[in-house]
Amino acid sequence: MLIPRRTKHRKQHHPKRRGAATGGTAISFGEFGIQAVEGGYLTNRQIESARIAMTRHIKRGGKVWINIYPDRPLTKKPAETRMGSGKGSVEWWIANIKPGRVLFELAGVPEPLAREAMRRAQHKLPMKTRFVRREGGDI
Amino acid sequence: MAEAINATLRTEFGKGAARRARRANLIPAVLYGHGTDPVHLALPSHETFLILKATSNALLELSFDGNSETALVKSVQKDVVTNDIEHIDLLLLRRGEKVNVEVSVVTEGESAPGTIHSVELQSLAVESLAIAIPTHIVVSVEGLEDGTVVRVSDLQLPEGTTTEVDPETPVVVISVPHLEEELEELEAENALGTDAASDEAPAEESDEA
Repeated sequence: MLIPRRTKHRKQHHPKRRGAATGGTAISFGEFGIQAVEGGYLTNRQIESARIAMTRHIKRGGKVWINIYPDRPLTKKPAETRMGSGKGSVEWWIANIKPGRVLFELAGVPEPLAREAMRRAQHKLPMKTRFVRREGGDI
Repeated sequence: MAEAINATLRTEFGKGAARRARRANLIPAVLYGHGTDPVHLALPSHETFLILKATSNALLELSFDGNSETALVKSVQKDVVTNDIEHIDLLLLRRGEKVNVEVSVVTEGESAPGTIHSVELQSLAVESLAIAIPTHIVVSVEGLEDGTVVRVSDLQLPEGTTTEVDPETPVVVISVPHLEEELEELEAENALGTDAASDEAPAEESDEA
């Protein structure tokens, strides 16, 4: 599971959810990708789950890139706790996803297989996403 | 060949005017180059979209205000979600001029069974005559074996096209992919390594100094 090895501060404020992605909006490494159409928080568990869904389907063949990293801690106070007494403990590690961001990339497999693998991965994600192709690609 | 397109001169500027133009199915554009003053244009949305869909380094024969100019599409701004074209930068060209452009690398054929090809260089910076810019550079991976590396020096560039990219730069690499189980074993080994490391040192630094 993706998790930062060390952090400058243990707890952070919630990341901003406004606006669209300004970088990482095009396919950089592979031939196919999953692009976020909505914004949202993506946890390291969801990223891992999507990656497993994709790699299990393509079996031998293909290479997967994860273009995002869950580097933001989110905290949660325990249930039935009174307010105050400091900030809760870190519960999740998330990547702040803005619309337009390419989340995963895939190469080395035919398009129908890539589509199906990515469809399975998309079911693991908490926001609307779409399948994208690199301009150019195979002939 | 240059695609003919009828443009109109823009007389009002700013985001309000640009949005009005987009609502009227026009794309704001600017034409500059060769030390001339920039000319602000509006291009028909659908026609421009169709031209740019075919090739990113499109050559346009612009007709506006009784003038005719040849221009190269230098930069296209798109909405990241809707993919609508928001603005285009056009570079003025002169007859016989050479231009520096990025041309996408595409692969052809299938590598040897059990191997995959990975495109390491997605686009190549080339210098070419403006009227003969290749739409893409084709790399054949047909029958290539594991460990084969296609480098820039191996590429067959069209006549009149040159590149200054290091000839040793890998373009396509052929490799044998790992099985899911092999990857999991590797991950487990890595996890054991990191667990041992985290036992020795604290995972995060305190900010309560």
